[in-house]
This record gives sequence, C-alpha cells and structure tokens, in this order.
Amino acid sequence: MAEGIHLTPIGDGNVLLEPGEGLDPSNPDALVAPVLEFLQNNQARRLVYDLKTVRLIDAVYYAWLTKLSATCRIANVEMVTVNMQPAAAYALSLTLDKPTPFTCALDIHHLR
Amino acid sequence: MAKETSQEKTTNQILIEQLMQNVGKISAIIEKQGQSIFGHKNLLSNNEINDYSLEFLELLTMLLHAGDKVDRRGAEYKALRQFFANFSQQIQVRGGDMDEFVRYVHFLQRVFLENLEADKSVSFEKAREILMMLGMIFNDIILDVFHIYLEGKEKTIQAQQEELRQTSTPITEIWDGVLTLPIIGSLDSSRTMIVMEKLLSRIESDRARVVVIDVTGVMAIDSQVSHHLIQMIRATGLMGATAILTGIRPEIARALTSLNIDLSAVTTRSKLSEGLKEAFRQLQIEVSRPNK
Repeated sequence: MAEGIHLTPIGDGNVLLEPGEGLDPSNPDALVAPVLEFLQNNQARRLVYDLKTVRLIDAVYYAWLTKLSATCRIANVEMVTVNMQPAAAYALSLTLDKPTPFTCALDIHHLR
Repeated sequence: MAKETSQEKTTNQILIEQLMQNVGKISAIIEKQGQSIFGHKNLLSNNEINDYSLEFLELLTMLLHAGDKVDRRGAEYKALRQFFANFSQQIQVRGGDMDEFVRYVHFLQRVFLENLEADKSVSFEKAREILMMLGMIFNDIILDVFHIYLEGKEKTIQAQQEELRQTSTPITEIWDGVLTLPIIGSLDSSRTMIVMEKLLSRIESDRARVVVIDVTGVMAIDSQVSHHLIQMIRATGLMGATAILTGIRPEIARALTSLNIDLSAVTTRSKLSEGLKEAFRQLQIEVSRPNK
C-alpha cells in the first residue's frame, strides 16, 4: 500500500481510508492506483475518507481528494469524506466556487 | 537669613520640610476633602479614605527623598503613579466617575500650593519651580487616570459588542441533530467569520445533521452578503450537514436575482417553520398531534 495511507474494509461494501503522516498529496497519480486496486480487490462500493487528522485542506490536498474521487467514480465507487474539522471546512469553503465532487458526511455513523 | 537658607535648598527639600511641619494639618484637610468627595456616594469608607491619604503622603515623601529632583523614571515615581492608578480603578469599580477623582487630585495639588503660599521664606524662583514640579506630578497622575478610565470604557464597549454578537447569532439545537441560526442585521466579513466559526463548532459538538439558517431579520442583501451566505452553506455541507435557508423576503429574493446569485443548489423554504418541517423530513422524523 502507498505510504501514509491506511485502508480498512469496514463491512457493507465500505472501505475506510485513514491518511497518515507520510501521505504526500502533491503526487496524486502515484497514490490513486494502489488505492483503487485495494477497493476493487475488496469489492468496495464506497470509500470513506476520514479527515479527522487533517487540520487544513489547501489547494494541493483538495486536488488529491478530487483526483481520488474521480478515479473512484470511474470504478463505480462512491467517495465520502467524514470528520472534516471546522477549521478545515471554513478554510476550504473560502476557496471553493462550486460544490465538491465527493459527498461529505458528519462521521462514519452518519453515512447515507 | 531664612530666605537665604531656602534659596540653597532644593525644591524637594523645601517640600519635605513643609510636609513634615504640617503633616497633621495636610493629612486632616486631605481626609476631610476625601470624605466630602468619595464619602457621600459611599465610594470609600472613612477608614479607606484615611488609609489612602496616609499612603499618598508616604509615597510623596519617598519620592521627594529619592533625589534632588523628581526622577520620572524612578521607582518612587512609578509607585506613586501606580498608587493613583489602583485608587482610581477602585473608584471606577465602585461606580464613581472620573470627575470626582480629578477633583480630588486637583484638590491635593491645591493643598500643597496653599501651604507654599503661606510660607513667605520661599523665593519666587523656588516657588515657581515647586509649582512646575507639582504641576508635572499631578498632570501625570491625571493623565494616568484618564487612560485607565478610557481603557475601562473600551473594555465595556468591547464586552457589549461581544454580547451583542452572541445574542445576534443564537445557535440553538431545537431538535436532536437540528440547529437553527437566525441571522439578524447585516452580514459583513468579520461577522460571517464569527458566525461560521460558531456554527461549524456547534455542528461538530452537537453532531448536527441539518442547519436551518433563517434570514428573516436580514434587512438588505448585496453581493458580498449573499456570497457570505453561500460560503456558510458550503462550509456546513463540507462538515457533512445540510443547510436549509429560510425567510427570504420578496425584496431579498429580487435582489438575489438581480445580483445573478444562483441558489439552485441550496434548499430554501419560505418560513422558519417550513424549514423545520423540511429538516424533520430529511431526518425522517414525524411530528404528529396526539389523538384526544
């Protein structure tokens, strides 16, 4: 698996992605392939991206999230972010001019 | 002879001598005036007035003893200013105003000047020097008191502004997972920041899933305000909650249309009650009247 990414199947077709310290979002192309491979091997229908430890979502990080969600969509996997921190949501809302290409949920218990 | 001696003495020495010779009289006058100024409103008790008078005379004596000339950067001078700063703060805390305190400080100055006037042995030059020195000391004290008073007022204004902000954006959890945010007045950038900060924190702490933003109290809307509103709704969505915008009055709707603001992605309802119904619908909550 790519460095800084921890993937766990959590049942019901869901896979939890927990980003770690070593994640380098500046090179999304190198990261998406192993993630997609894991999702397909586990017949995932939804990727749950946990943003609990992400304090700030800047343009580089957002580009990585967008790329990942686009790749997931091609493979018929829905991407949902959970636990976005208030400060990160606030900062990101200032830069966005259109809705995010992925779904956002409060936490893992509130997936729709 | 006496005149010659006083010529050789420094202004500080002259004042110390006068203070020593008349300490009882000066102290009694100051206490009496203190009681007349601060006593009638019960700002200070008699004991406090007496203590303050004695402490003032003590600090002034220490200042005069510290050197031939008053050193404005010396510890004794700072101690005297600090004494008056604390004194005025106490008066302010107890509801007194600056006029009373300034009157008191002027009075203190006058006591020394009257004493100086009565002493015929002091030459005109020395009297002038003493006058200037006393003027400098008491002016500094009055300025300090003025600054403290202004700081107090500024703090009060800031506290009132904060209270106004708090009360003008009351975020309430009216149902499990449903928050309401009535916005009253105008939304500028700084207020949006405060409201958003509070709202996003509440979404996180209350695990809210729906936020009903009611703009019935927003009197006017421009492109900046509408941009702030959209920003707030977007940030709410990023947190995983849904925002419902209610109370858009016809003139606001017309303004939004003429500003080319696209609210098609935003759930809107005419009234707060309709917004609540929509929130309940989204959460699959049914509210029904019990059968009688």
